[in-house]
Formats: sequence, structure tokens, C-alpha cells
Amino acid sequence: MNASERIAAVVSLACPDRVPLAPLLDHWAAPYAGITNTVLMNDSEKRFNAVLKTARDFRWDMTFLADTANTTLLKLGVPARIKLPGRDLPEHSTHQFDEIGFMTDEDYDVLEKDGIVALFSTLIPRIYPEMTIEQALMDFDCAGKEIIEQAIKLREKGIEPAVGFVTPGPSFEYFCFARTVNKGLMDLRKRPAKIKSAGRRFCEGILELAVSSVMQNGIQRVFIGMSRSSPVFLTSKYFEEFIVPDLDFLVHGLIDANITPVFHCDTNWTKFLPYFLRFPKARCILELDSFTDIFKAKEILGDHMAIMGDVPSTLLAEGSRDEVLDYCKRLIETIGKGGGFILSSGCSIPLNAKADNVMAMTEAVEEWGWY
Amino acid sequence: MKELVQAFSTLEEDRVYQIIDEYLAKSGEPLALVNELSQGMEEVGRLFKDDEYALGELIYSGEIFKGAMDKVKPFLKDEDDKPHRKVIIGTVEGDIHDLGKNIVITLLECSGFQVIDLGVDVPASKFVDAVKETGARLVGMSLLLTTAMDSMRQAIKSLNNSGHRDSIKIMIGGAPTSERLKEDVGADFYGRDAIEALAIARSVFNQ
Repeated sequence: MNASERIAAVVSLACPDRVPLAPLLDHWAAPYAGITNTVLMNDSEKRFNAVLKTARDFRWDMTFLADTANTTLLKLGVPARIKLPGRDLPEHSTHQFDEIGFMTDEDYDVLEKDGIVALFSTLIPRIYPEMTIEQALMDFDCAGKEIIEQAIKLREKGIEPAVGFVTPGPSFEYFCFARTVNKGLMDLRKRPAKIKSAGRRFCEGILELAVSSVMQNGIQRVFIGMSRSSPVFLTSKYFEEFIVPDLDFLVHGLIDANITPVFHCDTNWTKFLPYFLRFPKARCILELDSFTDIFKAKEILGDHMAIMGDVPSTLLAEGSRDEVLDYCKRLIETIGKGGGFILSSGCSIPLNAKADNVMAMTEAVEEWGWY
Repeated sequence: MKELVQAFSTLEEDRVYQIIDEYLAKSGEPLALVNELSQGMEEVGRLFKDDEYALGELIYSGEIFKGAMDKVKPFLKDEDDKPHRKVIIGTVEGDIHDLGKNIVITLLECSGFQVIDLGVDVPASKFVDAVKETGARLVGMSLLLTTAMDSMRQAIKSLNNSGHRDSIKIMIGGAPTSERLKEDVGADFYGRDAIEALAIARSVFNQ
């Protein structure tokens, strides 16, 4: 099997020839390839070369294109002001966001009435006074074209690009970034009808963008960011009322377009795992960051969707090679039993991960991952 | 008055304010209100611990508490309004994530602690200066990025060398922190969540 077939087999819950390996790569590509994070974030060609070198050296089946360290995409996609390495932070650090809360109460009306491009046009000049919306959209278009080329190059080397589009996830996730978490949580209580109607417009716009991007770049998977909608922040009552309808809309819209939703679940989702049974069988990937009980996920969802994860970032950064090997072996033997498993890092490989530990993931699949 | 505890713990914001307004209009003792609100907060904490509430409820309760205290404070005598249990808290250098830190601050303040919030990206020297200036007995440090673990080590090392280490306790928190990291960096306590951080603070000041 080649990498693409291996991933496809996992998603459809058929048994591949071996467990595929696909760590979430962004900032770590910089130190590994010997460039600064400033360069990684701003120079598309060098970013891609760093990604390619990393994915080839570690013999990965699938890699992210460091989408989550791409300044252009982050500026348009995340409604908070970015702090960049080399400008606001040391050159060898990851970017961070200042969640100031740029979105006003009235902006919900803008979104509801005129859709997401109108919302972006309102927020971007507020967040980045030095940038026009025209510039942002042009940069976004340019980044989209680069992804098309990079996907082709990656596939020529036998490596599958991970996702064709990164969505912020359910509208609540975006609102939390745009409004601050506290206000986002208050809004659910104080203006539920507005959140639902504006949220639906948000999902419609994001779905349209995601599907059109995938049609262009041919990467049939879409990232759905999920952290603030987790049971850490919300009770079942709020999750069912506000998050489930958004997820239903996005997931079915993507699947109808023959796209695999990748639920990127940060924080602990264990309590909400049964909700994922509502989505079509053998069509989704559940990606976990080590805070969710992945073994419970296998128990509940193993016959329903592919599971991806979850070597903890602390283990990659602070653990020993043997500890990583042991953890991966355990994952492969239990979560990988019968198929449906992609070995990955729990969220992004941390900037201070040891290369030996990252290589231990490769050694683990090559040693114990064969079916 | 138990009605206030009930209304607070079930997060009926308008009802909480109504009870307070009515009570104060009848010249009721304002400290009694503070006690009831604190009991309500205790109950919210219990529901959070029992997994019936999530962070959303915890944050919302903090907002209600602040709104309620805005009403009660003008009626408090000066000596009633001075928390004596000081806690310094900050996100360590190299990290600007403050969500968890802010939730801990809300809970501590609602429980009568005076919090000196150093903010985010706090260098080691600022923790040391704050201990010297305030005489606080508890220092809380948080992080989200694994790359900031060295900053945490450095901050604790600086406190160790400051001559004040014996008079303070240090607690750490944040997603990648753990008991193991606590040992590694030389902290005294690891708080898994905001409720644990509050319990740690209480235990330190009850010693």
C-alpha cells in the first residue's frame, strides 16, 4: 500500500498493511530544518522545504503543511492579533495570539445579515490596521495556490498532505477567539438566539470556503478545530444546543462533498465521545491531543471512525526515547488493533521536541505497526 | 438568605441581584451577603468538581460574583473589605496564555484572597520583586507552552536564590504541567484545575 491508500483504508475502517504515521507538524519543522521560526512563518518556499525534509527524514505517511504556522492563513483565519517570532517574539519561538476581543456585539448582526466575508472585512482592519481586507484576501488566494503546488510536490514524494483546509470549527470556537472566552461563554447565556442564527451563517460561509479550497487543491480532508467547545468548557446542555447543530451542518456538508472531516480535539473530550457516534460511520477522523482518554475513544468509537493521536507533547519534549517507544507500542497494540488508527503527536510536535523522540514514533510503527 | 446561596449556585444572575438589592434596602448586614455569596461559590466549586458544571459555569459564576460585589462593596466597612491573604500569580516568561490563570484568579478573589496578577510573559525577576514588595506567601505560576518550562525553572531558581524561598510556597498549573514537572522545577504544589488551585491556596494559609 502507498501512503494515500493506507490513510484511505484507515478512514474507511478497513485494515491497512500497517499503522500510518502522521504527526502534526508546524513550528518544529524550523529547528529541525535549521531555519528560524520567523522564516518558517513568512517564507512559503522555505516552509515547504522544511516540511518536506522533516516528513521524508522521518518517513511519515502524511504531513501537515505547517498550515498552523502560516502567517497568511493565521491572520485571516484567527480573529486575534498574532504575535510573531522575529517581530514581537524571539526568532526561534512559536507565534502566540493576544485574545483581546475585537468582535463587538453588533458584529453578530453583520455576520447574520451579510455573511463571513463581511465579518472578516469588519474585523481584519480592526485587528491589523496596517493591512487592508483586499490585501488579506489576495494573500489568502496566493497561499491557496501555493498549497495546490505543494500538495502535488508532496505526493510526488509519496507523502500525503494532511488537510486541504483548516476551519476554526463550530462557530462558538471562532466567537471565543473573536470575543474572548469569557464573553463567548456569556453570549451563550445572554443572547442564545443571536448566537444560533449568526453561528449558522458562519458555518455556511466556512463550509463554502472549505469545499471550494478542497476542490482546488485536491486534499480531501478538512480540519475542524475543537477546544473551547469541549466538556472542559461546556456542559452537555450547551454542547447539544449550540455545538451539535454546527457540527452536524459542517460534517454532513463536508461528507456530501466527499471530504473527510478531521476533528482536531484539544483538551479532554472523554465525556463527549458518545456524541461522535451521530456522524456517518467510516467517514471521519478523530484526532486527540493526549488529554482525552484515547483508550476509551477506541472502546466507544473504534468501530465508527478512525482515531489519530496522541503521543503527548511533554513526552516528546521531556521524555526519553524509550518512553516514547513504549507509549507508541501501547497505542499501536491497543488503539491500532484491527485498524482504524493513525499514529500521531498529541496536537503539534512541540518546538522543543527531541529529534530522537520524534524518530522513536517512526521506529515504533516500523517495528510493531504491521498487520 | 439561603435563597441567595441557592440562586447563586444555580447561576440565576438576575435573581441574585434582586435578593441583594432587597436585602440592602432593608438595611441588612452586608457581611452576611458576602458570606452567602461565598457559600454559593463553594457550591459552584462542588458542582464543578462533581462534573455537573464545566468551566463555562465557573467563569459565569465569577461574573455574577463580581456583579454582586459591586452592589455590596459600598456598604462594607473598610476593614471588612481588605483581604489579608495575598497570592502572586503570573504566566511565566515566553508564554502569553492566560485563560487558566484568569479562572484561578477569579476563584481566589471570590474566596477572599488578594491576588497580585503579574500578567503574562512574566520574567523571573518580576516574581522575585513581587514577593519582596508584597510579602505574599503563595506564588502561582502557569504555562501552556512546553517551551516555557525552562522559564518556570528559572523563575523558581531565582526565588530560591532570593532569600525568600522559605517564606513562600509555589504552585504551578497549566495544561502540560504535572506532578512530575512540579518535582522537576522545584515547586511545592501542582494544581490540576482551578478548584485544586483554590484548595492549595486555602491549605497554605491555614497552615
